[in-house]
Amino acid sequence: MAFAGNLRKIIHGRHGRRTPQNVTHGEVTPKFENWFFILPLGAIFTCWELTLRFGFISAKTIPPPSEILKVLLVNLLTNPDFIISVLRSLANIGLGILVAAVMATPFAIFTGLRRRVDTSLTPLIMIFGALPDVALLPFLVYWFGRSASAAILMATIVAFFPIFFTVREGVRNIPKDYFYVAYIYKARKIDVYTKLILPAVFPQLITGVRLAYEFLWEIVLAIEIIARIHGIGFIINFAVEEGSLTYAFAGFFMIGIIAILLDRLVFHRLEESVRRWHE
Amino acid sequence: MTLSKCLEVEKVVKHYSHNGKHVHALDQVTFHVHKKEFICIIGPSGCGKSTLLKIIAGLDRPTSGEVRFQGETVKEPHPKISMVFQSFALFPWRTVLQNVEFGLETRGVPKAERRKIALELLELVGLKGYENAYPKELSGGMKQRVGIARALAVDPEIVLMDEAFSAIDEFTAQVLRNEVLELWEETEKTFILVTHNLTEALEMADRIIVLSTRPAKVKHEYHVSLKRPRNRSDSKFLRCQKELFNILKSELEHTIVRHKLKAIHEHFKIEDMESFQR
Repeated sequence: MAFAGNLRKIIHGRHGRRTPQNVTHGEVTPKFENWFFILPLGAIFTCWELTLRFGFISAKTIPPPSEILKVLLVNLLTNPDFIISVLRSLANIGLGILVAAVMATPFAIFTGLRRRVDTSLTPLIMIFGALPDVALLPFLVYWFGRSASAAILMATIVAFFPIFFTVREGVRNIPKDYFYVAYIYKARKIDVYTKLILPAVFPQLITGVRLAYEFLWEIVLAIEIIARIHGIGFIINFAVEEGSLTYAFAGFFMIGIIAILLDRLVFHRLEESVRRWHE
Repeated sequence: MTLSKCLEVEKVVKHYSHNGKHVHALDQVTFHVHKKEFICIIGPSGCGKSTLLKIIAGLDRPTSGEVRFQGETVKEPHPKISMVFQSFALFPWRTVLQNVEFGLETRGVPKAERRKIALELLELVGLKGYENAYPKELSGGMKQRVGIARALAVDPEIVLMDEAFSAIDEFTAQVLRNEVLELWEETEKTFILVTHNLTEALEMADRIIVLSTRPAKVKHEYHVSLKRPRNRSDSKFLRCQKELFNILKSELEHTIVRHKLKAIHEHFKIEDMESFQR
């Protein structure tokens, strides 16, 4: 009976089955539920480990997670190059998003507010957005060399589009009545931006940034591998070419850990704070 | 005792183009509103009531004619004129309290004073305890209460209401109408309510401005002499309702006939249908 009770708790959560009586608006999920994914992840790791232990796949093709984690820990603590390359990739991504957001947001707001600008410019931007950005890479390397600048520039270009489109949509969805309220209550021009438009598009901005972030992880690592620009992608590629699969996987795991941490600690929190009021 | 003229709408004409089509919305609309009056503007749907209200609010400019508030022409929103919206128009990212404070914020009223005024008003509209709730958590009636509190926070002379009760369920709307009447009597402000609901207009107004169909003219100024508090089922009330309905009905019939004739015209492409329209 106790087991059934515990099972019920696991399936329905701490508050029990959600009925109309106990669902409250704006309820934020309790913190540890956010980390429940660790359970299935642990299961996958165990299977992986066992597959190798029992010799179904040789350790040459793919190292066991126990080895990988060992190497990861050692390098994190003693190898500054490892940490630096991780930080380099993060910097490329972070700066790419930052510059893209700073450029795309005002532009998207301007375009969203003005119908004429929108009909003339947005199709153009859509065409550019549909072009394969990776094709720009050779040019960027030619102009900027195998430097972080090329990576950051590439990242900015890729991040620009999702942010632009989501923010523009957000602006277009602001009900006209909100503007009337602002004018009736004598909001100054600057107030219309700071007290109406920016808070109204904030959820869309987060969505755009999140999309950009997800694209950028792939793009930045890919360009590090392709253009041999320094970063964790470069390290992984280099390690595989040298034959140290375990080291490469350690880098790969590191990326995964950072991605999850950023997602849970940054994006999830932001989205929860928006969900309090967003319908 | 002569009541001062608070608002003068003088020969207001409004033309605009919508989707390439030219719309003649208002045609020489003229009426006056005195201080402390409760005015209702009614008319068939689409006749331009909301356009008129927007011009009064300063959100739009008339093509010709003018609106004068306390003697001065209204060219842009006036700090002493505020508005309650049919869609409530509360900012969802702000709490109830912050929404009410909005008008005070834009005026630079210091934080402590803003808070005090907003809290008092929330109590006045019956939302004590909901200060930190978000609009998402409120029902339609409660949202409109916040809208009303927000409108009153800036201590306006005139409160405009654009079909303020039309998006609320009838039961809550009834309660809210009575509360607004109480607020009106207590605060002694001028209220102008635009509605398409005849009964609502009769319940609330001292005077009803009846607009014709587009292009809207003032068809009739109906003085409501019923004593307050008004009772819907009172025989006198029902008589007034019938009178008002007959005034509006002729407008509606005119529109229906006009539309039907137009349809026939289009269908048969007969040139001189005009003569049939008299």
